[in-house]
Amino acid sequence: MGNGIQAIHPFVMFFYYSCLGFFAMFFNHPIFLLAGCLALIGVNLSHDGGQAMKQWTPLMMTMTVLIIVVNPLINSRGTHVWFDLFGKQVTLEVMLYGVVTAMSLLMILLLFVSLNIVLNGNKLLYIFARILPRTAFLIMMSIRFVPLLKRRLTEIQDVQRLKGMTMTQGTLRERAKSGMSMLQILLSWSLEEAVETADSMKARGYGSGTRCPYIPYRMTKSDKRWLSYLLVAFVICGTGGLLGYGKIIIYPELGTLHLSLLDWVVFACGMAVALFPVFVEGREQLKWNYSI
Amino acid sequence: MGRSRKYLVIVSFVLLSLLVVSIVFFHYRAYLLLSLIMIAAIMIPFFARFEWRDVGGREVVLLAMLAAIAAVGRVPFAGLPSIQPTSFIIIMAGLVFGAESGFIVGAVAAIVSNFFLGQGPWTPWQMYAWGMMGMTAGLFRNTAFMRTLWGKCTFGFVWGYIFGWFMNTWVIVGNIEALSWKYVAGIFASSIYFDLAHALSNVFFIVIFGASWMKILQRIQRKYGLLYEQPG
Repeated sequence: MGNGIQAIHPFVMFFYYSCLGFFAMFFNHPIFLLAGCLALIGVNLSHDGGQAMKQWTPLMMTMTVLIIVVNPLINSRGTHVWFDLFGKQVTLEVMLYGVVTAMSLLMILLLFVSLNIVLNGNKLLYIFARILPRTAFLIMMSIRFVPLLKRRLTEIQDVQRLKGMTMTQGTLRERAKSGMSMLQILLSWSLEEAVETADSMKARGYGSGTRCPYIPYRMTKSDKRWLSYLLVAFVICGTGGLLGYGKIIIYPELGTLHLSLLDWVVFACGMAVALFPVFVEGREQLKWNYSI
Repeated sequence: MGRSRKYLVIVSFVLLSLLVVSIVFFHYRAYLLLSLIMIAAIMIPFFARFEWRDVGGREVVLLAMLAAIAAVGRVPFAGLPSIQPTSFIIIMAGLVFGAESGFIVGAVAAIVSNFFLGQGPWTPWQMYAWGMMGMTAGLFRNTAFMRTLWGKCTFGFVWGYIFGWFMNTWVIVGNIEALSWKYVAGIFASSIYFDLAHALSNVFFIVIFGASWMKILQRIQRKYGLLYEQPG
Protein backbone atom coordinates (compact mmCIF):
# COMPACT_ATOMS: atom_id res chain seq x y z
CA MET A 1 0.00 0.00 0.00
CA GLY A 2 2.97 2.32 0.48
CA ASN A 3 3.04 5.32 2.73
CA GLY A 4 2.69 9.06 2.47
CA ILE A 5 0.63 10.06 -0.53
CA GLN A 6 0.42 6.46 -1.79
CA ALA A 7 -1.52 5.46 1.33
CA ILE A 8 -4.27 8.04 0.79
CA HIS A 9 -7.58 6.58 -0.39
CA PRO A 10 -8.02 6.67 -4.20
CA PHE A 11 -11.26 8.63 -3.95
CA VAL A 12 -9.52 11.45 -2.09
CA MET A 13 -6.75 11.56 -4.67
CA PHE A 14 -9.23 11.48 -7.53
CA PHE A 15 -11.10 14.39 -5.99
CA TYR A 16 -7.82 16.27 -5.60
CA TYR A 17 -6.90 15.82 -9.27
CA SER A 18 -10.38 16.76 -10.49
CA CYS A 19 -10.27 19.94 -8.38
CA LEU A 20 -6.87 20.88 -9.71
CA GLY A 21 -7.79 20.14 -13.33
CA PHE A 22 -10.86 22.30 -12.85
CA PHE A 23 -8.77 25.17 -11.45
CA ALA A 24 -6.29 24.97 -14.33
CA MET A 25 -9.06 25.47 -16.87
CA PHE A 26 -11.24 27.80 -14.76
CA PHE A 27 -8.96 30.56 -13.46
CA ASN A 28 -7.00 32.69 -15.87
CA HIS A 29 -5.11 35.13 -13.68
CA PRO A 30 -1.42 34.69 -14.54
CA ILE A 31 -0.32 34.76 -10.90
CA PHE A 32 -2.84 32.04 -9.98
CA LEU A 33 -1.66 29.83 -12.83
CA LEU A 34 2.02 30.44 -12.17
CA ALA A 35 1.54 29.53 -8.52
CA GLY A 36 -0.41 26.43 -9.60
CA CYS A 37 2.42 25.30 -11.87
CA LEU A 38 5.02 25.88 -9.16
CA ALA A 39 2.88 24.00 -6.63
CA LEU A 40 2.57 21.03 -9.00
CA ILE A 41 6.31 21.02 -9.63
CA GLY A 42 6.69 20.87 -5.84
CA VAL A 43 4.20 18.01 -5.68
CA ASN A 44 6.11 16.10 -8.35
CA LEU A 45 9.37 16.68 -6.51
CA SER A 46 7.79 15.27 -3.37
CA HIS A 47 6.78 12.08 -5.22
CA ASP A 48 10.07 10.91 -6.71
CA GLY A 49 12.44 13.86 -6.76
CA GLY A 50 11.28 14.88 -10.24
CA GLN A 51 12.31 11.67 -12.06
CA ALA A 52 9.10 11.34 -14.08
CA MET A 53 8.90 15.08 -14.66
CA LYS A 54 12.33 15.05 -16.30
CA GLN A 55 11.13 12.75 -19.10
CA TRP A 56 8.30 15.10 -19.96
CA THR A 57 10.33 18.31 -19.75
CA PRO A 58 11.22 18.56 -23.49
CA LEU A 59 7.58 18.19 -24.54
CA MET A 60 6.35 20.68 -21.96
CA MET A 61 9.03 23.24 -22.77
CA THR A 62 8.49 23.13 -26.55
CA MET A 63 4.73 23.37 -26.11
CA THR A 64 4.94 26.35 -23.77
CA VAL A 65 7.41 28.25 -25.94
CA LEU A 66 5.50 27.41 -29.11
CA ILE A 67 2.20 28.75 -27.81
CA ILE A 68 3.76 31.95 -26.46
CA VAL A 69 5.69 32.61 -29.69
CA VAL A 70 3.06 31.56 -32.22
CA ASN A 71 0.12 33.35 -30.63
CA PRO A 72 1.25 36.93 -31.50
CA LEU A 73 2.04 35.88 -35.09
CA ILE A 74 -1.43 34.67 -35.90
CA ASN A 75 -3.48 37.02 -33.81
CA SER A 76 -3.59 40.77 -33.47
CA ARG A 77 -6.55 41.48 -31.25
CA GLY A 78 -6.37 43.84 -28.31
CA THR A 79 -5.76 47.56 -27.91
CA HIS A 80 -2.44 48.09 -26.10
CA VAL A 81 0.17 47.92 -28.86
CA TRP A 82 3.49 46.79 -27.45
CA PHE A 83 5.85 46.72 -30.44
CA ASP A 84 5.92 46.05 -34.17
CA LEU A 85 7.27 42.76 -35.48
CA PHE A 86 7.64 42.27 -39.23
CA GLY A 87 4.93 44.85 -39.78
CA LYS A 88 2.54 43.11 -37.38
CA GLN A 89 1.36 44.79 -34.23
CA VAL A 90 2.06 42.73 -31.15
CA THR A 91 -0.35 43.73 -28.44
CA LEU A 92 -0.02 43.27 -24.72
CA GLU A 93 -3.28 41.35 -24.66
CA VAL A 94 -2.09 38.77 -27.17
CA MET A 95 1.17 38.21 -25.29
CA LEU A 96 -0.66 37.78 -22.02
CA TYR A 97 -3.23 35.46 -23.57
CA GLY A 98 -0.45 33.25 -24.92
CA VAL A 99 1.20 33.11 -21.52
CA VAL A 100 -2.08 32.26 -19.78
CA THR A 101 -2.98 29.50 -22.26
CA ALA A 102 0.51 28.02 -22.12
CA MET A 103 0.53 27.96 -18.32
CA SER A 104 -2.92 26.45 -18.14
CA LEU A 105 -1.87 23.60 -20.45
CA LEU A 106 1.43 23.21 -18.63
CA MET A 107 -0.45 22.86 -15.34
CA ILE A 108 -2.66 20.12 -16.82
CA LEU A 109 0.36 18.22 -18.15
CA LEU A 110 2.14 18.47 -14.78
CA LEU A 111 -1.03 17.21 -13.16
CA PHE A 112 -1.06 14.15 -15.39
CA VAL A 113 2.60 13.42 -14.66
CA SER A 114 1.74 13.30 -10.97
CA LEU A 115 -1.46 11.35 -11.63
CA ASN A 116 0.44 8.66 -13.52
CA ILE A 117 2.65 8.17 -10.46
CA VAL A 118 0.03 8.25 -7.71
CA LEU A 119 -3.20 6.96 -9.23
CA ASN A 120 -1.70 4.01 -11.05
CA GLY A 121 -3.81 1.50 -12.96
CA ASN A 122 -5.18 -0.39 -10.01
CA LYS A 123 -6.39 2.66 -8.10
CA LEU A 124 -7.90 4.35 -11.14
CA LEU A 125 -9.85 1.19 -11.93
CA TYR A 126 -10.96 0.88 -8.29
CA ILE A 127 -12.67 4.25 -8.70
CA PHE A 128 -14.36 3.41 -11.98
CA ALA A 129 -15.43 -0.05 -10.85
CA ARG A 130 -18.05 1.68 -8.68
CA ILE A 131 -19.57 3.61 -11.56
CA LEU A 132 -19.09 1.30 -14.55
CA PRO A 133 -18.32 -2.17 -13.13
CA ARG A 134 -18.30 -4.14 -16.36
CA THR A 135 -16.34 -1.58 -18.35
CA ALA A 136 -13.76 -1.33 -15.57
CA PHE A 137 -13.48 -5.12 -15.50
CA LEU A 138 -13.02 -5.19 -19.27
CA ILE A 139 -10.29 -2.56 -19.12
CA MET A 140 -8.54 -4.30 -16.23
CA MET A 141 -8.54 -7.57 -18.11
CA SER A 142 -7.31 -5.91 -21.29
CA ILE A 143 -4.40 -4.34 -19.39
CA ARG A 144 -3.53 -7.74 -18.00
CA PHE A 145 -3.47 -9.19 -21.53
CA VAL A 146 -0.93 -6.66 -22.80
CA PRO A 147 2.19 -8.17 -21.15
CA LEU A 148 0.95 -11.66 -22.04
CA LEU A 149 0.52 -10.71 -25.69
CA LYS A 150 3.92 -9.07 -25.75
CA ARG A 151 5.47 -12.32 -24.53
CA ARG A 152 3.60 -14.30 -27.16
CA LEU A 153 4.65 -11.84 -29.82
CA THR A 154 8.36 -12.31 -29.02
CA GLU A 155 7.82 -16.05 -29.20
CA ILE A 156 6.18 -15.71 -32.61
CA GLN A 157 8.94 -13.39 -33.81
CA ASP A 158 11.60 -15.90 -32.74
CA VAL A 159 9.93 -18.70 -34.67
CA GLN A 160 9.23 -16.60 -37.75
CA ARG A 161 12.79 -15.34 -37.89
CA LEU A 162 13.88 -18.91 -38.65
CA LYS A 163 11.54 -18.83 -41.62
CA GLY A 164 13.18 -15.61 -42.75
CA MET A 165 10.37 -13.23 -41.86
CA THR A 166 11.70 -10.18 -40.02
CA MET A 167 10.70 -6.62 -39.29
CA THR A 168 14.25 -5.35 -39.51
CA GLN A 169 15.03 -5.90 -43.18
CA GLY A 170 13.41 -5.22 -46.51
CA THR A 171 11.30 -2.45 -47.92
CA LEU A 172 8.66 -0.63 -45.94
CA ARG A 173 6.01 -2.68 -47.67
CA GLU A 174 7.63 -6.01 -46.83
CA ARG A 175 8.22 -5.05 -43.23
CA ALA A 176 4.66 -3.88 -42.73
CA LYS A 177 3.43 -7.10 -44.32
CA SER A 178 5.49 -9.39 -42.12
CA GLY A 179 4.55 -7.38 -39.02
CA MET A 180 0.91 -7.88 -39.83
CA SER A 181 1.32 -11.59 -40.48
CA MET A 182 2.75 -11.96 -36.98
CA LEU A 183 -0.21 -10.09 -35.57
CA GLN A 184 -2.51 -12.41 -37.47
CA ILE A 185 -0.85 -15.44 -35.87
CA LEU A 186 -1.20 -13.72 -32.52
CA LEU A 187 -4.88 -13.08 -33.21
CA SER A 188 -5.90 -16.62 -34.06
CA TRP A 189 -3.82 -17.99 -31.17
CA SER A 190 -5.15 -15.56 -28.59
CA LEU A 191 -8.82 -15.65 -29.52
CA GLU A 192 -9.07 -19.39 -28.93
CA GLU A 193 -7.18 -18.94 -25.67
CA ALA A 194 -9.57 -16.17 -24.63
CA VAL A 195 -12.56 -18.49 -24.84
CA GLU A 196 -10.71 -21.02 -22.68
CA THR A 197 -9.90 -18.32 -20.12
CA ALA A 198 -13.55 -17.33 -20.01
CA ASP A 199 -14.64 -20.92 -19.42
CA SER A 200 -12.22 -21.37 -16.54
CA MET A 201 -13.43 -18.05 -15.10
CA LYS A 202 -16.97 -19.31 -15.25
CA ALA A 203 -16.00 -22.60 -13.59
CA ARG A 204 -14.56 -20.62 -10.70
CA GLY A 205 -17.76 -18.63 -10.28
CA TYR A 206 -17.48 -15.48 -12.39
CA GLY A 207 -20.78 -13.62 -12.42
CA SER A 208 -22.28 -15.53 -9.48
CA GLY A 209 -22.24 -12.51 -7.19
CA THR A 210 -21.18 -8.88 -6.97
CA ARG A 211 -17.52 -8.29 -7.64
CA CYS A 212 -15.23 -6.91 -4.97
CA PRO A 213 -11.88 -5.20 -5.58
CA TYR A 214 -8.66 -7.16 -5.39
CA ILE A 215 -7.00 -4.63 -3.08
CA PRO A 216 -9.46 -3.39 -0.47
CA TYR A 217 -8.79 0.31 0.02
CA ARG A 218 -10.34 1.51 3.26
CA MET A 219 -11.50 5.03 3.97
CA THR A 220 -9.75 5.82 7.26
CA LYS A 221 -10.44 8.66 9.64
CA SER A 222 -7.54 10.70 8.31
CA ASP A 223 -8.76 10.14 4.73
CA LYS A 224 -12.12 11.58 5.71
CA ARG A 225 -10.44 14.53 7.38
CA TRP A 226 -8.35 15.27 4.29
CA LEU A 227 -11.41 14.93 2.07
CA SER A 228 -13.43 17.43 4.07
CA TYR A 229 -10.44 19.78 4.08
CA LEU A 230 -10.22 19.58 0.29
CA LEU A 231 -13.97 19.96 -0.06
CA VAL A 232 -14.13 23.15 2.01
CA ALA A 233 -11.21 24.74 0.19
CA PHE A 234 -12.65 23.74 -3.19
CA VAL A 235 -16.10 25.18 -2.43
CA ILE A 236 -14.58 28.50 -1.39
CA CYS A 237 -12.52 28.61 -4.59
CA GLY A 238 -15.46 27.61 -6.75
CA THR A 239 -17.78 30.27 -5.38
CA GLY A 240 -14.97 32.83 -5.56
CA GLY A 241 -14.36 31.93 -9.18
CA LEU A 242 -18.06 32.13 -10.07
CA LEU A 243 -18.17 35.63 -8.53
CA GLY A 244 -15.28 36.61 -10.77
CA TYR A 245 -12.32 36.47 -8.40
CA GLY A 246 -9.08 35.03 -9.74
CA LYS A 247 -10.02 35.89 -13.30
CA ILE A 248 -9.03 38.69 -15.61
CA ILE A 249 -10.55 40.13 -18.73
CA ILE A 250 -8.10 39.94 -21.63
CA TYR A 251 -10.10 40.68 -24.79
CA PRO A 252 -11.16 43.16 -26.10
CA GLU A 253 -9.20 45.29 -23.63
CA LEU A 254 -6.97 44.17 -20.79
CA GLY A 255 -8.65 44.61 -17.41
CA THR A 256 -6.86 45.21 -14.16
CA LEU A 257 -4.31 42.71 -12.88
CA HIS A 258 -4.67 44.06 -9.36
CA LEU A 259 -5.55 41.48 -6.71
CA SER A 260 -8.07 42.52 -4.07
CA LEU A 261 -8.27 41.04 -0.58
CA LEU A 262 -10.92 38.53 -1.64
CA ASP A 263 -8.75 37.50 -4.58
CA TRP A 264 -6.03 36.65 -2.10
CA VAL A 265 -8.49 34.57 -0.04
CA VAL A 266 -9.39 32.54 -3.15
CA PHE A 267 -5.69 32.29 -3.97
CA ALA A 268 -4.85 30.95 -0.51
CA CYS A 269 -7.60 28.33 -0.71
CA GLY A 270 -6.46 27.28 -4.17
CA MET A 271 -2.93 26.85 -2.87
CA ALA A 272 -4.26 24.88 0.09
CA VAL A 273 -5.78 22.43 -2.39
CA ALA A 274 -2.82 22.32 -4.78
CA LEU A 275 -0.22 21.68 -2.08
CA PHE A 276 -2.22 18.93 -0.38
CA PRO A 277 0.20 16.07 -1.32
CA VAL A 278 3.15 18.13 -0.05
CA PHE A 279 1.34 18.61 3.27
CA VAL A 280 0.68 14.89 3.54
CA GLU A 281 4.31 14.00 2.86
CA GLY A 282 5.57 16.79 5.09
CA ARG A 283 3.38 15.70 7.98
CA GLU A 284 4.68 12.17 7.64
CA GLN A 285 8.30 13.37 7.55
CA LEU A 286 7.77 15.49 10.68
CA LYS A 287 6.17 12.59 12.51
CA TRP A 288 8.98 10.24 11.48
CA ASN A 289 11.80 12.56 12.46
CA TYR A 290 10.54 14.47 15.47
CA SER A 291 7.93 12.43 17.31
CA ILE A 292 8.88 10.73 20.50
CA MET B 1 -34.31 -1.78 -19.47
CA GLY B 2 -35.66 -0.40 -22.71
CA ARG B 3 -37.24 2.58 -21.06
CA SER B 4 -34.24 3.56 -18.95
CA ARG B 5 -32.05 3.28 -22.04
CA LYS B 6 -34.29 5.73 -23.86
CA TYR B 7 -34.17 8.13 -20.91
CA LEU B 8 -30.43 7.91 -20.86
CA VAL B 9 -30.10 8.81 -24.52
CA ILE B 10 -32.47 11.75 -24.03
CA VAL B 11 -30.54 12.94 -20.98
CA SER B 12 -27.25 12.83 -22.79
CA PHE B 13 -28.69 14.78 -25.72
CA VAL B 14 -30.16 17.41 -23.41
CA LEU B 15 -26.84 17.69 -21.61
CA LEU B 16 -25.01 18.07 -24.89
CA SER B 17 -27.35 20.77 -26.22
CA LEU B 18 -27.11 22.66 -22.91
CA LEU B 19 -23.34 22.64 -23.19
CA VAL B 20 -23.46 23.86 -26.78
CA VAL B 21 -25.87 26.63 -25.79
CA SER B 22 -23.64 27.67 -22.92
CA ILE B 23 -20.68 28.00 -25.27
CA VAL B 24 -22.58 30.01 -27.85
CA PHE B 25 -24.53 32.38 -25.62
CA PHE B 26 -22.54 32.90 -22.43
CA HIS B 27 -19.05 33.86 -23.37
CA TYR B 28 -17.65 31.23 -21.11
CA ARG B 29 -13.89 30.93 -20.96
CA ALA B 30 -13.12 27.36 -20.01
CA TYR B 31 -13.46 25.77 -23.44
CA LEU B 32 -11.09 22.91 -22.76
CA LEU B 33 -13.00 21.97 -19.61
CA LEU B 34 -16.31 22.18 -21.46
CA SER B 35 -15.04 20.08 -24.35
CA LEU B 36 -13.89 17.33 -21.99
CA ILE B 37 -17.28 17.29 -20.24
CA MET B 38 -18.98 17.23 -23.63
CA ILE B 39 -17.02 14.23 -24.86
CA ALA B 40 -17.73 12.36 -21.63
CA ALA B 41 -21.44 13.17 -22.03
CA ILE B 42 -21.50 11.87 -25.59
CA MET B 43 -19.83 8.62 -24.58
CA ILE B 44 -22.10 7.90 -21.58
CA PRO B 45 -24.92 6.16 -23.50
CA PHE B 46 -22.54 3.74 -25.22
CA PHE B 47 -20.89 2.61 -22.02
CA ALA B 48 -24.23 2.48 -20.21
CA ARG B 49 -25.63 0.26 -22.94
CA PHE B 50 -22.67 -2.07 -22.55
CA GLU B 51 -23.28 -2.20 -18.78
CA TRP B 52 -26.95 -3.09 -19.16
CA ARG B 53 -26.79 -5.39 -22.13
CA ASP B 54 -26.83 -9.11 -21.53
CA VAL B 55 -23.16 -9.92 -22.10
CA GLY B 56 -21.65 -13.24 -21.07
CA GLY B 57 -18.23 -13.88 -19.60
CA ARG B 58 -16.89 -15.25 -22.87
CA GLU B 59 -17.88 -12.13 -24.75
CA VAL B 60 -16.29 -9.81 -22.21
CA VAL B 61 -13.02 -11.74 -22.38
CA LEU B 62 -13.14 -11.74 -26.19
CA LEU B 63 -13.66 -7.96 -26.31
CA ALA B 64 -10.83 -7.47 -23.82
CA MET B 65 -8.57 -9.63 -25.95
CA LEU B 66 -9.41 -7.71 -29.14
CA ALA B 67 -8.76 -4.37 -27.42
CA ALA B 68 -5.45 -5.70 -26.05
CA ILE B 69 -4.37 -6.92 -29.50
CA ALA B 70 -5.26 -3.53 -30.97
CA ALA B 71 -3.15 -1.84 -28.27
CA VAL B 72 -0.24 -4.28 -28.55
CA GLY B 73 -0.29 -3.96 -32.36
CA ARG B 74 1.78 -0.84 -31.92
CA VAL B 75 4.70 -2.89 -30.54
CA PRO B 76 6.08 -4.65 -33.67
CA PHE B 77 5.51 -1.46 -35.66
CA ALA B 78 7.49 0.74 -33.29
CA GLY B 79 10.28 0.90 -35.87
CA LEU B 80 8.03 2.20 -38.64
CA PRO B 81 7.02 5.79 -37.95
CA SER B 82 3.29 6.63 -37.97
CA ILE B 83 2.29 3.21 -39.29
CA GLN B 84 0.19 1.37 -36.76
CA PRO B 85 -2.40 -1.37 -37.23
CA THR B 86 -4.60 -0.29 -34.31
CA SER B 87 -7.15 1.42 -36.53
CA PHE B 88 -7.26 -1.56 -38.87
CA ILE B 89 -7.95 -4.00 -36.02
CA ILE B 90 -10.69 -1.73 -34.64
CA ILE B 91 -12.34 -1.46 -38.07
CA MET B 92 -12.23 -5.26 -38.45
CA ALA B 93 -13.82 -5.73 -35.01
CA GLY B 94 -16.59 -3.30 -35.94
CA LEU B 95 -17.18 -4.97 -39.30
CA VAL B 96 -17.56 -8.45 -37.83
CA PHE B 97 -19.01 -7.90 -34.36
CA GLY B 98 -21.21 -4.87 -34.96
CA ALA B 99 -21.41 -1.23 -33.93
CA GLU B 100 -21.53 -1.59 -30.15
CA SER B 101 -18.64 -4.03 -29.90
CA GLY B 102 -16.68 -1.87 -32.33
CA PHE B 103 -17.12 1.16 -30.10
CA ILE B 104 -16.06 -0.73 -26.97
CA VAL B 105 -12.97 -2.22 -28.63
CA GLY B 106 -11.89 1.19 -29.97
CA ALA B 107 -12.45 3.14 -26.77
CA VAL B 108 -10.83 0.50 -24.54
CA ALA B 109 -7.84 0.13 -26.88
CA ALA B 110 -7.22 3.88 -26.51
CA ILE B 111 -7.32 3.75 -22.69
CA VAL B 112 -5.19 0.63 -22.46
CA SER B 113 -2.46 1.79 -24.81
CA ASN B 114 -2.32 5.08 -22.90
CA PHE B 115 -1.80 3.25 -19.62
CA PHE B 116 1.54 2.23 -21.10
CA LEU B 117 2.29 5.35 -23.16
CA GLY B 118 1.00 7.90 -20.61
CA GLN B 119 -2.47 9.27 -19.95
CA GLY B 120 -3.17 12.89 -20.76
CA PRO B 121 -5.87 15.33 -21.80
CA TRP B 122 -5.79 13.63 -25.20
CA THR B 123 -7.09 10.29 -23.84
CA PRO B 124 -10.84 11.11 -24.05
CA TRP B 125 -10.41 12.42 -27.60
CA GLN B 126 -8.61 9.28 -28.71
CA MET B 127 -11.22 7.13 -27.00
CA TYR B 128 -13.96 8.96 -28.82
CA ALA B 129 -12.25 8.95 -32.22
CA TRP B 130 -11.32 5.26 -32.17
CA GLY B 131 -14.65 4.31 -30.62
CA MET B 132 -16.49 6.11 -33.40
CA MET B 133 -14.26 4.45 -35.99
CA GLY B 134 -15.34 1.02 -34.73
CA MET B 135 -18.94 2.07 -34.42
CA THR B 136 -19.31 3.48 -37.92
CA ALA B 137 -17.64 0.37 -39.33
CA GLY B 138 -20.33 -1.66 -37.59
CA LEU B 139 -23.15 0.62 -38.67
CA PHE B 140 -22.29 0.53 -42.35
CA ARG B 141 -21.21 -3.09 -42.54
CA ASN B 142 -24.37 -4.34 -44.21
CA THR B 143 -24.54 -1.68 -46.91
CA ALA B 144 -23.70 -2.71 -50.45
CA PHE B 145 -20.90 -0.14 -50.48
CA MET B 146 -19.03 -1.62 -47.51
CA ARG B 147 -19.30 -5.15 -48.81
CA THR B 148 -16.96 -4.34 -51.68
CA LEU B 149 -13.22 -4.13 -51.20
CA TRP B 150 -13.22 -0.62 -52.68
CA GLY B 151 -15.78 0.51 -50.16
CA LYS B 152 -13.74 -0.78 -47.23
CA CYS B 153 -10.58 0.86 -48.56
CA THR B 154 -12.33 4.20 -48.97
CA PHE B 155 -13.70 3.86 -45.47
CA GLY B 156 -10.23 3.19 -44.03
CA PHE B 157 -8.69 6.04 -46.00
CA VAL B 158 -11.34 8.56 -44.94
CA TRP B 159 -11.10 7.54 -41.29
CA GLY B 160 -7.33 7.97 -41.36
CA TYR B 161 -7.97 11.64 -42.06
CA ILE B 162 -10.96 12.07 -39.75
CA PHE B 163 -8.95 10.62 -36.88
CA GLY B 164 -6.10 13.03 -37.49
CA TRP B 165 -8.44 16.01 -37.78
CA PHE B 166 -10.21 15.04 -34.63
CA MET B 167 -6.94 14.87 -32.73
CA ASN B 168 -6.07 18.31 -34.15
CA THR B 169 -9.21 19.80 -32.71
CA TRP B 170 -8.07 19.18 -29.19
CA VAL B 171 -5.06 21.36 -29.84
CA ILE B 172 -7.33 24.02 -31.33
CA VAL B 173 -9.89 23.90 -28.53
CA GLY B 174 -7.12 24.41 -25.98
CA ASN B 175 -6.28 27.71 -27.66
CA ILE B 176 -9.65 28.70 -29.06
CA GLU B 177 -9.50 32.45 -28.57
CA ALA B 178 -6.67 32.58 -31.05
CA LEU B 179 -8.98 31.01 -33.61
CA SER B 180 -8.28 32.25 -37.09
CA TRP B 181 -8.16 30.57 -40.49
CA LYS B 182 -4.41 30.88 -40.65
CA TYR B 183 -3.99 29.14 -37.30
CA VAL B 184 -6.33 26.29 -38.14
CA ALA B 185 -4.76 25.86 -41.58
CA GLY B 186 -1.30 25.81 -40.01
CA ILE B 187 -2.23 23.05 -37.56
CA PHE B 188 -3.88 20.97 -40.26
CA ALA B 189 -1.02 21.46 -42.69
CA SER B 190 1.48 20.28 -40.09
CA SER B 191 -0.35 16.98 -39.72
CA ILE B 192 -0.94 16.21 -43.42
CA TYR B 193 1.98 13.80 -43.72
CA PHE B 194 1.01 11.83 -40.59
CA ASP B 195 -2.63 11.64 -41.62
CA LEU B 196 -1.68 10.47 -45.08
CA ALA B 197 0.56 7.74 -43.64
CA HIS B 198 -2.25 6.66 -41.33
CA ALA B 199 -4.79 6.59 -44.17
CA LEU B 200 -2.52 4.77 -46.60
CA SER B 201 -1.48 2.16 -44.04
CA ASN B 202 -5.16 1.52 -43.32
CA VAL B 203 -5.78 0.93 -47.02
CA PHE B 204 -2.68 -1.27 -47.32
CA PHE B 205 -3.73 -3.49 -44.41
CA ILE B 206 -7.32 -3.75 -45.61
CA VAL B 207 -6.28 -4.78 -49.11
CA ILE B 208 -3.79 -7.42 -48.01
CA PHE B 209 -5.13 -8.68 -44.68
CA GLY B 210 -8.78 -7.57 -44.58
CA ALA B 211 -10.27 -10.79 -45.95
CA SER B 212 -8.19 -13.18 -43.82
CA TRP B 213 -8.77 -11.24 -40.58
CA MET B 214 -12.50 -11.13 -41.17
CA LYS B 215 -12.44 -14.87 -41.79
CA ILE B 216 -10.64 -15.56 -38.49
CA LEU B 217 -13.02 -13.35 -36.52
CA GLN B 218 -16.12 -14.77 -38.21
CA ARG B 219 -14.92 -18.28 -37.50
CA ILE B 220 -14.66 -17.52 -33.77
CA GLN B 221 -18.08 -15.89 -33.88
CA ARG B 222 -19.69 -18.90 -35.56
CA LYS B 223 -17.81 -21.57 -33.65
CA TYR B 224 -18.70 -20.30 -30.20
CA GLY B 225 -21.86 -18.32 -31.06
CA LEU B 226 -20.45 -15.09 -29.65
CA LEU B 227 -21.27 -11.42 -30.06
CA TYR B 228 -24.07 -11.64 -32.56
CA GLU B 229 -25.67 -8.22 -32.66
CA GLN B 230 -28.78 -8.21 -30.50
CA PRO B 231 -31.86 -6.62 -32.00
CA GLY B 232 -33.05 -3.40 -30.30
